[in-house]
Amino acid sequence: MSIVSDTYHLFIRALKKLVRNPILLFFSLLQPIIFLVLFTQLFSRFVETGLFPAGVTYLEYATPGILLQNGFSSALQSGTSIVDELNSGMLEKMLVTPVNRSAILLGRLVTDAFRVGVQSSIILILAYILGFNVATGAGGIVLAIIIVAFFGLAWSGISLAIGLRTRSAETVFGIGGVLTFPLLFMSTALVPVKAMPTWMADVSSFNPISFAVNAVRDLSLPSAFSGATIASAFVVIGAIAIVTLGATLYLFRKVVK
Amino acid sequence: MPEIVTVEDLVEVYSDGTKAVNGISFSVNDGEFFGFLGPNGAGKSTTIKVLTTLLKKTSGKVVIAGNDVDKRAEAIRKVIGVQSQDTVIDQDLTGEENMMLQGHLHGMGGEALKARVKELLSLVGLSDVAGRRAGHYSGGMKKRLDLASALVHSPKLLFLDEPTTGLDPQSRAAIWEYLSKLNKEQGITIFLTTQYMEEADKLCQRLFIIDKGQVVASGTPESLKREVGADSITMTLEDGAAASETKDRAKQALGGIPGVGNIIDSDGGLTVYAKNAGLIIPDIVRTFDSNKIRLTSVSFASPTLDDVFLQHTGRRIRPEELEAKSQTFQRFGAARRPARQ
Repeated sequence: MSIVSDTYHLFIRALKKLVRNPILLFFSLLQPIIFLVLFTQLFSRFVETGLFPAGVTYLEYATPGILLQNGFSSALQSGTSIVDELNSGMLEKMLVTPVNRSAILLGRLVTDAFRVGVQSSIILILAYILGFNVATGAGGIVLAIIIVAFFGLAWSGISLAIGLRTRSAETVFGIGGVLTFPLLFMSTALVPVKAMPTWMADVSSFNPISFAVNAVRDLSLPSAFSGATIASAFVVIGAIAIVTLGATLYLFRKVVK
Repeated sequence: MPEIVTVEDLVEVYSDGTKAVNGISFSVNDGEFFGFLGPNGAGKSTTIKVLTTLLKKTSGKVVIAGNDVDKRAEAIRKVIGVQSQDTVIDQDLTGEENMMLQGHLHGMGGEALKARVKELLSLVGLSDVAGRRAGHYSGGMKKRLDLASALVHSPKLLFLDEPTTGLDPQSRAAIWEYLSKLNKEQGITIFLTTQYMEEADKLCQRLFIIDKGQVVASGTPESLKREVGADSITMTLEDGAAASETKDRAKQALGGIPGVGNIIDSDGGLTVYAKNAGLIIPDIVRTFDSNKIRLTSVSFASPTLDDVFLQHTGRRIRPEELEAKSQTFQRFGAARRPARQ
């Protein structure tokens, strides 16, 4: 199957490019690490307000949020790579070969998911050192990473679509940057709904980040594991993925034609 | 010889209504070194895009190696190699990895691919740096790597869009040598566009000149030059307040001189063609003198492809190429004489 082997080769290529630009990799991890260390110190006494789930440290509460934040902002950079391929002529160079068309996009998406997965693992290890634990064990860790990676994949679609549409890396970065903070802070990533003003709590309850964060939190916190939260996260992320990847596919087809 | 490229009435209209290609027809024989020339914006790159399956044509018929471009694009992609105008290589990968990736995308693999990559890297003289990242290569090395990567799958037909633009003369000569070798020894058909007339003259067996989306001339370099039929005499006139009026008077005066052919007004000055330039130049100078037209320079040369191009398109291939052109004059031993006043 050429789609499998083509995707594989393009994935390997993208990995080599990632590893060979360690500075980029380093900086994209720097932000979540700073969040992890600073926020969990700065807000450590917030849990005393009683607005947080009982018996949970702020580190335990916020780590799932920081995982999602990383997946989110890292995915939003995905579009810059397709802009690069478009403008350098690399995409055309691929398109004159018999390479499977879908594999070009798939290779990109697999790389993004993989990258988010690796970054999540690094954040989890660091959080573990600071005292974070995943209550549901190894299976929970794997499922949490899958949720974060799937979430990243859905948002990659937005970034890729913007990249394909505008052919400008600056625009991709700009829109990504503008979206990140409002969406992050108006979600349950860092603070529970109870601690928010009503309007923000309303926004938060529709915010897809909240759904994903709640699912990861369900896996990590000792108390309440509910399959419904996990399922609803997958439904919400899946719906986003269908829209964003659909748009990406549509725009990619236009470019390929 | 069977045809490997057949183009009939190709039309390409962009979505904004621009007619980039306006009904061109031509064919390329198997094993031929074919030159496709034209000024910037003539429709060369658009034609190549259609032929290489990157762009859907508006109308017409295009058949590559027996495959219709609309119905069997995939089959075409297997037998063509393409080097685009901009050098496209992955700067983060090594030379060898670039080649391997290209092979993988063509469905190749294993020892056969490794051997092929090794052979090609040595052909273009990059064996020593195969393990270094391509981003560190010089411009000439990048071009060579790009060329080699277009050859990994042993294409029958190679499209080269200005393969030597921006290269120093030495690198250019090296590329010419590889291309000749590929064509002569391996029988690969080459479809070349270039802005260097010297390159087209040296390499191509047959040329097509297009302008404004249409074919304006075709033939072997020799026959095209023969068609010019005469030496070219290029003169520049004194600039001044009445420059364009002077030019018009000069054109009129030239028209009255027996033996003077086609008069072409280009950015390089006035050019006329005459069977025996050495005998005509004194006539021109005398006529101009009596008409009070002041010449600042006059030179002549036996016809080159530049003249063919100029005659058919009314333009030099590119203004910035004029300098290179005057060197060509010297190479052909033509005299550059100051005007007698």
